Amino acid sequence: MTLEELKEKMDEAHYVYDETLATVLYVALALGRPLLIEGAAGVGKTEVAKVMAAALDRDLVRLQCYEGLDESKALYEWNYQKQLLAIQISREAGSEAQTRQLFSDEYLLERPLLRSIRSEKPVVLLIDEIDKADEEFEAFLLELLSEMQVTIPEIGTVKARSIPLVVLTSNRARPLSEALRRRCAYLYIDYPSLDKELAILRGKLPHVDDRLCVQVATAVQKLRSSQTILKKPSIAETLDWAAALEALGIRELTPDVLVKTGGFLLKNNEDLAALARQEPDGHCGRCGQ
Amino acid sequence: MNDPQVYLRKLSAFSRQLAREGLAVGPAETADAARVLILVGLEDRERVKTALCTVYAKSREEQLVFGKCFDGFFLSREAMEAQAKARLEERQALERRRREAEELLNLNGKPLDLTEQQRRAYASMPDEARQRLTGFLDKYRQTAERNPKLYGEFIHSVFTRAILEQQMLLEDAGLGGEAADPDIGLMYRDISQFKDTEIPRAVAILQTVARQVNASLSARRRAQAHTGKLDFRRTIRLGLETGGSFHRLRYRRKRGRKKHLVILCDVSGSMMQFSEFALRFIQSLNQASDSSRVFLFSETVVEADPFRLENMDLFRDYVRQSGVYGRGTDLGAALTHLCASRPPVLGQSTTLLILSDSKTIDQNRAVQALLEAQRQAGRVIWLNPIPQRKWQYLRSVQTMAAVCAMAPCATLQELTAALSGRPFGLL
Repeated sequence: MTLEELKEKMDEAHYVYDETLATVLYVALALGRPLLIEGAAGVGKTEVAKVMAAALDRDLVRLQCYEGLDESKALYEWNYQKQLLAIQISREAGSEAQTRQLFSDEYLLERPLLRSIRSEKPVVLLIDEIDKADEEFEAFLLELLSEMQVTIPEIGTVKARSIPLVVLTSNRARPLSEALRRRCAYLYIDYPSLDKELAILRGKLPHVDDRLCVQVATAVQKLRSSQTILKKPSIAETLDWAAALEALGIRELTPDVLVKTGGFLLKNNEDLAALARQEPDGHCGRCGQ
Repeated sequence: MNDPQVYLRKLSAFSRQLAREGLAVGPAETADAARVLILVGLEDRERVKTALCTVYAKSREEQLVFGKCFDGFFLSREAMEAQAKARLEERQALERRRREAEELLNLNGKPLDLTEQQRRAYASMPDEARQRLTGFLDKYRQTAERNPKLYGEFIHSVFTRAILEQQMLLEDAGLGGEAADPDIGLMYRDISQFKDTEIPRAVAILQTVARQVNASLSARRRAQAHTGKLDFRRTIRLGLETGGSFHRLRYRRKRGRKKHLVILCDVSGSMMQFSEFALRFIQSLNQASDSSRVFLFSETVVEADPFRLENMDLFRDYVRQSGVYGRGTDLGAALTHLCASRPPVLGQSTTLLILSDSKTIDQNRAVQALLEAQRQAGRVIWLNPIPQRKWQYLRSVQTMAAVCAMAPCATLQELTAALSGRPFGLL
């Protein structure tokens, strides 16, 4: 696949991208490298994996990371209950019963990582919020990311039947290990520019009045550039806000409306108080026109 | 591509350049970069830059370093010519200044007794600084005839100060990074130079960093939590899920041994901003210690109310109310108070953190008290907000650094490194 073909496929998936994002995705795909995406919460890191799955016509296999995640939840687990029942049956039936091989596929519960590499068709594997998992889990991922294989003690090495496109996302809650970083292509997603945000609004909410979209995008850009706002509004919050304004029948973004509906954008009390303290036209999108 | 070898050699040189700048670049990255170049071609410079950045840079910070290296390494023809011209002009200007310096820096026809470093520094100074220095020399030239030795010493002190001022300009080194990424820029700026408008952003960065350090300390502790002894109760309970087969073993957890922190915090006027940031950071590191006590000192010492410190936004008001703000600094008295307190404040499981710029009255008494505090406490760490490059000019810093472990903490980045990394780290 060429870069132009990839862009066409992303266009078909109605995804708003810039040249940098397209090039990075193309490089990761071409090299067969996992893609590590970092950036603030809500800038669209997870969306990249979803869009790539749609654009490449692949299934999306998602592994949500959390503290304490281990290989039994991420890779595989033996179906112990089934194994115990099988042992019980074989005892009761004596030699007549066929004792099945206990450590075979029949007793194996596939988790997302194993499912993604044993799939006949290549998939997109999303390892979401890897920074929330423990360092041990990170180390455990290294074999999968570099060799596209995993080792199960009872079975041996399982090589990938098809190579998945692996996308890892991180909110930078903790620094990731050098070893993991080295195995990945890297992309940092920043908050979008005014034009890109406007394009996203128009693409995702085509029914919203274009004038209101411009006002919303301008207001959000101003809020993000404000020193007093600590938790910057994300793209998802911009979309929620625009949809809420539309649902409320608001056609014009006034300072009063901004303060009253600010809860859709700003999610902590200090930021809302700072917004209320601003001068009347301080963040209102109208003055940006 | 006419000769792929040429490109490969250049790519290899570029990889070495990146490695020198601190990026983890090896043969695998260079091989990937070569494949990428074949894939994306060389027609679009920005595309090549993005593609190579994906392969070489593995973090936001590395992306900034990569950007600078790339722009310096892969120049357009016009940029190369302009750079060569600028370098030639710079060399000529430096040579001209050296000649001028030879003529100017003499006394009664004899060259002044200056070191080579001082002469070089004079030649490379900006015009304004050079004129100011020459003005000084002219103004006090008459002294030379009355007392040549005194004049010689004066000239040396003037030069030392001028060189120090030039070095102090490096304090703004973070500004370049700030243009590309404001948060990274703020991490490398002097804490005491933050403007009021920058403080909320700096606090937010500090909270993020504290969260990262806490997560990493917590993960490290969990990894070391295993004692090797079986926890029978938990193993049996888990085994009941599978009909009493104990195939999943559980082990006894190691008891966490966090340290007790005693923080002695200088709140004299010049230290206020630094102390506020350092305390805020240390308070956020809830994984670093079991308990902490904070003492604020200037001429006198008071123990800070832990409930009042929970709301760090009111720190300045609280310090003003406590009556220690705006006075001189007497570290000796503060340390003596800590050592003599009953029940004892310091003990072998205690880490004493001193936040101070080491400027104190009665330095000898302060050193004696510091030695006693070191004997009583398990560990003493001094966090000094004065940039490390200035330490060599300050006798008080040198004296204290000889007695206890001292870490430079002029910037948020240094503060983070001092509290979470080795050899000063709290863990």
